[in-house]
Amino acid sequence: MESRERGGWVGLTASVNYGIDADRVLAVDAPLQAVARRIDGRYAVDEFGGDPHLQDMVLPIALAGLRFEVEHGERIPRHGPALLVANRSFAVGSFEPAVLVAAVRRVARRRLRVFGVPELPIAGVWLHKLGSIGRRPHDVATLLRAGHLAVAPLAPTWVRSAPGDPPRGLLAATLGFPVVPLAVTPGGPLGTPFGTWRVAVGEMLAPPAGTRPGDQLAAAELAEQVRSAIRDLLEQTRAAS
Amino acid sequence: MKRVLVTGMGGHLGTRAAQLLEQRDDVEAIVGCDFMPPRRRLRRAIFKRIEPRDRDRLVTFVTEFAPTAVVHFGVYEPAARMGLHRAQVSTEACTVAALGAAARTGMLEHIVLRSGLEVYGRGRGTPLTPDEDAPLDPTSPYGMSLLEVETTAAGIARRHDVRVASLRFAPVSGSHAPSPLGRLLRLPLVPVPAFVDPPFQLLDTEDAARAAVEALVRGAHGPYNVVGPGAASPWQAVRLGGRVPLPVSGPGWLLARRLSEVAGAPIPPHTLALMRQGLTADGGHATSALGLGAMVPTQVVLDDLFEWATVTPIARAERRVA
Repeated sequence: MESRERGGWVGLTASVNYGIDADRVLAVDAPLQAVARRIDGRYAVDEFGGDPHLQDMVLPIALAGLRFEVEHGERIPRHGPALLVANRSFAVGSFEPAVLVAAVRRVARRRLRVFGVPELPIAGVWLHKLGSIGRRPHDVATLLRAGHLAVAPLAPTWVRSAPGDPPRGLLAATLGFPVVPLAVTPGGPLGTPFGTWRVAVGEMLAPPAGTRPGDQLAAAELAEQVRSAIRDLLEQTRAAS
Repeated sequence: MKRVLVTGMGGHLGTRAAQLLEQRDDVEAIVGCDFMPPRRRLRRAIFKRIEPRDRDRLVTFVTEFAPTAVVHFGVYEPAARMGLHRAQVSTEACTVAALGAAARTGMLEHIVLRSGLEVYGRGRGTPLTPDEDAPLDPTSPYGMSLLEVETTAAGIARRHDVRVASLRFAPVSGSHAPSPLGRLLRLPLVPVPAFVDPPFQLLDTEDAARAAVEALVRGAHGPYNVVGPGAASPWQAVRLGGRVPLPVSGPGWLLARRLSEVAGAPIPPHTLALMRQGLTADGGHATSALGLGAMVPTQVVLDDLFEWATVTPIARAERRVA
């Protein structure tokens, strides 16, 4: 068996997209045009199950009620692959990925794939269309190799000020790609999601040069870096509020 | 200089690969066999019509030629040109007889074989877009058949020190390539899953043939996923072809399969799995390692599939000429 380099970014291969970018958010069809496009079948589907046209139809409406502020939005890469890692709490856990998707769409004009969404029968396929990427690190590695953005949560925790455990298996599988830590905090009274959310973006982290996917020691070190960076971001956010 | 045996030379893929090999100066001789004659004109290659299950004739033919390389397209997709059982038996017989005989000559250096994404299966826990390192766990008879082919070739590689490139193709499709998926999608009323719409990828015949020749020329070894860029979904494919989707669920598929078979488009288990669970893979490694630059995107393959020239009966054409 030949050894294969799997850490590199091979970039997006050319495919038919009917003017819809699988990675960037561009102009959106008018409602009637969008419906006509669905009926004709002239929309792009990617190999990860994503349906950017459906995302453009559904997400602006579904996420319209979320209010948020983003600090250091310029740190979210405008092109190329990156793994975003964010904190998650048990209390408002299902809102955090939605806030991040909305934030990345607005700030970087890019589509964000969410790692860790449960793969339920029937619903799983539709969640994939809207941007989830399931729970297999392998798929996220493939996604990053194709040049996309993905977000993975830390293990959920009840303590709002303390980050949970980083997803070490995922970090090991995707080693070599940039990692961006994020802190997401709800702005409602008593930490409820009914207020303006705050999203703080940390500096990009990278493993030591030369590490390859599957290097468990490098992944463990990177996981500690990520946890520490998110803890700092959470403390800064709490001090500022 | 290579002496190349192309099994399954009668199919579109085998014929096209033989044509591409004919253009190369580093290929000294090309011979092929299949149960039907080649689809296009071959100038240099020699073809012999042999039924894959006729072991004695096949072994004699291969032994007399003593190839240094085998391009093994004698892998038959169920419901493409033959039924499920015959396809499995023919694939196994052709693989064992042709590869075994070639290895026993002592001249064999390289095998390039056709496999498919079906070897990964679609069970629980299977990656959505597997790369070549993903575990092999086929869930359809065709997938099992492909796994047997890969296993047989791997055994030969170990015993005889031969390089083996396993090309795991997405379903090969096109306007003239016979495939169960192509026939199904060209029905006027196409059964599609009622509640899901998973992605699948296709591969153009020309790209598949090119991948096989590049693998041979470059001395490739190991598995390679060869897929067309992008993806499509069943509902989308049906609408792109201007067909009417018929939502089907659960036991309704039993009836849909029966009716589809009566209409001339049987749905074998691997095609049913593609419609219900999708079929995609990471083809980045093959693209870079085999130098497959501009490949035909999946949705262009679909467009090509639906651009099937309208059949004009000869009598009507003669009347028009008169």
